Formats: sequence, structure tokens, C-alpha cells
Amino acid sequence: MNSPAIPQLAPSILVEARRRERSAAVRSGRVALLFMAPALLMVSLFLLAPVVFNIVLSFTRWQRFSGIDEFAGFTNYERLFGVPYFSEAVLNTGMWVVGALVLPLAFGLGLAMLLRGLPFEETFKSLFFLPRVLAPTAVGTLWYYVYAPHGVINSISSAVTGQPIDYGWLFEAGTITPAIIFTFVWQTLGINMVLLLLGLAAVPRDPIEAARVDGASNWQIFRHIIWPLLLPTVLVVTILNVVAGFTAFDLLWVMATGYPGQRTLSLAVYMYYETFAKSSWAYGAAIAVVLSTMVVLVSWALTTIQSRVEERIR
Amino acid sequence: MGVNVEDPDFIRELMARERRGHAHSTPRLVIALALLIAYLVPFYYLFVTVFKSTDEYLSSGVLDLPRSVTPLLDNIVQAWTRAGMGQAAFNSLSYGLLGSAFAVALASAAAYGLTRLRLRSANSWFMVIFAGTLFPFQMYLVPLFFGYQRVSLMNSWLGMLLIYTAICIPFPLLVLRNYFGGIGREIDEAARIEGASEWRVFVSMILPNAKGPLLALFLLQFTFIWNDLLFSSILASSPEVRSIMTALQSLQGTYASTGPNVVVTASLISSIPTVVLFVLLRKYFMSGLQLAHN
Repeated sequence: MNSPAIPQLAPSILVEARRRERSAAVRSGRVALLFMAPALLMVSLFLLAPVVFNIVLSFTRWQRFSGIDEFAGFTNYERLFGVPYFSEAVLNTGMWVVGALVLPLAFGLGLAMLLRGLPFEETFKSLFFLPRVLAPTAVGTLWYYVYAPHGVINSISSAVTGQPIDYGWLFEAGTITPAIIFTFVWQTLGINMVLLLLGLAAVPRDPIEAARVDGASNWQIFRHIIWPLLLPTVLVVTILNVVAGFTAFDLLWVMATGYPGQRTLSLAVYMYYETFAKSSWAYGAAIAVVLSTMVVLVSWALTTIQSRVEERIR
Repeated sequence: MGVNVEDPDFIRELMARERRGHAHSTPRLVIALALLIAYLVPFYYLFVTVFKSTDEYLSSGVLDLPRSVTPLLDNIVQAWTRAGMGQAAFNSLSYGLLGSAFAVALASAAAYGLTRLRLRSANSWFMVIFAGTLFPFQMYLVPLFFGYQRVSLMNSWLGMLLIYTAICIPFPLLVLRNYFGGIGREIDEAARIEGASEWRVFVSMILPNAKGPLLALFLLQFTFIWNDLLFSSILASSPEVRSIMTALQSLQGTYASTGPNVVVTASLISSIPTVVLFVLLRKYFMSGLQLAHN
């Protein structure tokens, strides 16, 4: 195809144009940095610098306000692995992670399937979501009395069994962690359900209708059509839940105030306790590093799985 | 499988299935209602408790209806004075409103720089800021504690505002970077040819196009700041600057001699702003979740 003759530009004009284009790009880049500067400054000063400082600190013997004393190598970390409180805290954190991984998702999914297309769906959704709007501190305070020896759980159990019950759910080693995880599930069920309903809304109706006409059972439809398409949403929700399980603090801090072994209830609580109640600053920094490593590794693994799944679907 | 759509048996079968589908929703509704009632028991407990005096609370069953509504006033007064909730509510409100507004403003400016201008290695710059949220908060506590002591920000209003602003930047940046990236390029190109400055393009072209997400992000970050206990309990424990959640927690401590009725009333008071916001702006909350989800 013959294009209309392009007027020949003198090489000097082209060079000039290219130079201008380059300097415009440089200027644009500088303006961009100017737009980013305040955010960069805030994040570097208050978030990134502390992370670096915390890592350095975890390798020192820093105890008081004397500044960084001397490097101690892995002493703080070695101490961690010899302390029974630490292993108990790790064990309980594991319980939290598994609980936070499985329960809100399973119940949230069940609830989403139950409420989907039901009359008053919006009202149901809002009411189940409501606990999520409350602060964990307020929820913890409320449930502290729900679980109290003369609280709601015991009084309902007494009414059902006909015998007086005054069990201290939050004072016994055997029930405290499951009890607080239950409260956590109560609070996070709603957001799990809403996110899963968003995912369900994106599942196309046609293949479901077609399968139903062909006589597929509800379970078959769920297993072979809905679940594969919902998987990316499930994984996003899982990442949120697992990180929340690892870092659970507010509920534990408020609900376990009367429990002597409070520090062993999770790594986040153990870190807080050692640092701010016992002033073992460098040791606390080391606990924070261990906790962060776990969180970063697990969320990295889950994100990798998630992007694989999304690729496979596309 | 051949289906004759004019076959009357087939049509009858389809209609029967359709009816069964509707009939199925009744047992589902009953199950959902039963679950909801069980789910709301703690709220029921909350509402009967705020109307009881300490004596009545200790002498009656916890789920009994209150004898009168008047003790509510006394409970509020007690919670208010014992925990200094007025000051704490004012503090948290100012941290929440200003911190969230600043964070969303700074994040949107940064997102503009990342997406609408020719920035080399924009992705790396984004990762620098986003790295701020990869770690659990425990990673910041010790350094902030000492840093704040060194520069006299400990127990100060400004210190709290600064950390809340910083910690609320990365998430809105993530969302707005995606959102701004999706706005058509024509509008700002046109404005630039007309000679508008980048600042003008940002303020009068891009921001008005993102009102929904900006409001949703503001709400989410406000709720986060209002609900925070961790940072406040470490960096601001004095009554003049402490947050509402720290005040609530101090009431609930083991040695506090405050009755459950007062503590529960305090937990209700501390929840009012976020619940009201949720009820009024439910649509934006939900779309905020959708943002987080994408």
C-alpha cells in the first residue's frame, strides 16, 4: 500500500524532537517522584526503618536505654528455642492458624450457600456481618462475660441440663484457646461469607442450569462447577485468615487477662509480654523476627498457589 | 441428549422442579433464622446488660430482662468517668478522621505518580511502599517504642497521628494503583495539551473519578484506627492521648473493680461510631471489601 508522501524532516529536527521527548520523560519522572515523596517518606520513617532496626536489635544484648550494647549473634534466638513458654506459644499459634484457616472458611462457605438467593438475603448478610464492624477489643470484652463462670454460656448450659454449671472457660488451659478461637470465628464469619458471596456471584449461571437440566445433583454441581471457579476467592480469603490467625492479639489480650499462662497463648502475646512487661527488648525483637518470618513465608506460599490457580483457570 | 421443548411432560417436569426449588427455600429460611438467633445471643446479652445495675446484674440471671431502663444512664456516666471515655473518644475520633484522610490523600498522590506519569521502574517504587505491610505489626513495636522516646513523640497526640497515617498508606496505595491504572488516558492527555499542570490533572481529573473507592478506603482505614489497641497501648498510655480501645481495656483489667454492666456499657459506647458508619454507608463498606478482594 502506498501511503501519502511523508514530508522529509531534517535530521536536526528529529534529534531535537528526541531530546525534547527525553527531557519531558525525565521531567515527568521527577514530578512522579514528587507526588510519591510524602508517602515514601512516611512509610520509610515509620515502617521500613523500624523493620531494619528491629532485625539489627534482635542480634544484640540490648536491655535498657543504653543504646545498642554489643552484638550477641544468635544468642536471643538460641534462648527462644530453649524456653518452654516459647514452644507452648508456637503450639498455640499453630492451633490459631489451623483454626483460622479452616473454621471461618468452612462456616462462611456453608452460610454463603445457605443464604444465597434466600428471601431477605441482604438483611441476613448485614446481621451476620455486624460483629465484624465491632472492634476486637469490644468483642473480647463482651465475650469475656459471655464465658464468665456466671456468664451466658454456662447459664444456657445450666438451663438445658438442669444442673448448675460454673465452668471458667477462660481460666482452664484446656478450653481457653478453643474458646477464644470460637469468638474469633464469630467475628470473622461474616466477612468470609460476604467475600465468598462476591465470588459466588461471579460464577456464571448457564453451566449450572445446563448441569441441572442434565440431572446433576447439588453436590455434583458444587464440586465440579462452583468450587473450581470459587477457588481463587477461597485462596484470597485463606490468606487473610491465616495472617489474622498468626497475629491474633487484641482478643487474647482482652479475654485472657485473668489467665496465668496468658503469655503462652500466641507468639504475638508472648512477644508483647516479654518486651513490655519484662523489658527484654532485644529478646522481644527476636520473637518478632521469628513471627514475621513465619507470616511472610506462609503468605508467600499461599500467594504463589493462588497465582498458579488463577493461571490454570485462565 | 435430545430434548423436545414442546413435549408437555418435559414442560410439566421443568415446572415441578421450579416449584420444588421454591419450596426448598422454606426449610433453608428456617435454618438460617435459627442460626441467626443463636448468632445474635451475645448482642441480646449486651442489650439486657446495659440496662442493669451492678446489684441487679449479680442477683439476676444474665439473660433475664432488666427490671427498668433507668440504670443505663448511670452505667453510661460510670463508664464515661471511670475510663475517661470522653477524652478517649475525642482522641480516637481525631486520629481516625485525620489519620485516615491523610493516609488516603498521600496514597492517592503516590498512586497518581505511579500510574499516570512516566516513572522508571514504577513497580519497584510500589514494592518499596508496599513492603511496609508485609510484616506483622509486632515487627514495628520495639523500634517505635525507642524511636518515640528518643524524639519525644511518646505519649503525644502527634506521635499517634503519625504512626496511624503511615500504617494506613500501603493498602489504599495498592487499591488506588489498580483503580487509577484503569481510568482512560484520554482525559489527562487532553488536559495536559490544554496546558494543565500535573497537580491540576490529579486534583480535578483523576480524584473526582475515584470518589467511590476513596470514600470506601477512608471508611476502612477509619475503622482500623478507631479499633486499634496495639499501637495505642504501647505508644500512648497516658489518659490525655490514649485511644478509646485502650480506655475500654483499662476498665476491663483484672484489678478494676468495675461491674460487668459498666464494662459492657463501655464496650457498647466504643462501638457506636463504627456501627453507625456501617449502617449509614453499608454500600461503601461492602464495595471496600470488593476493592480489597481484587
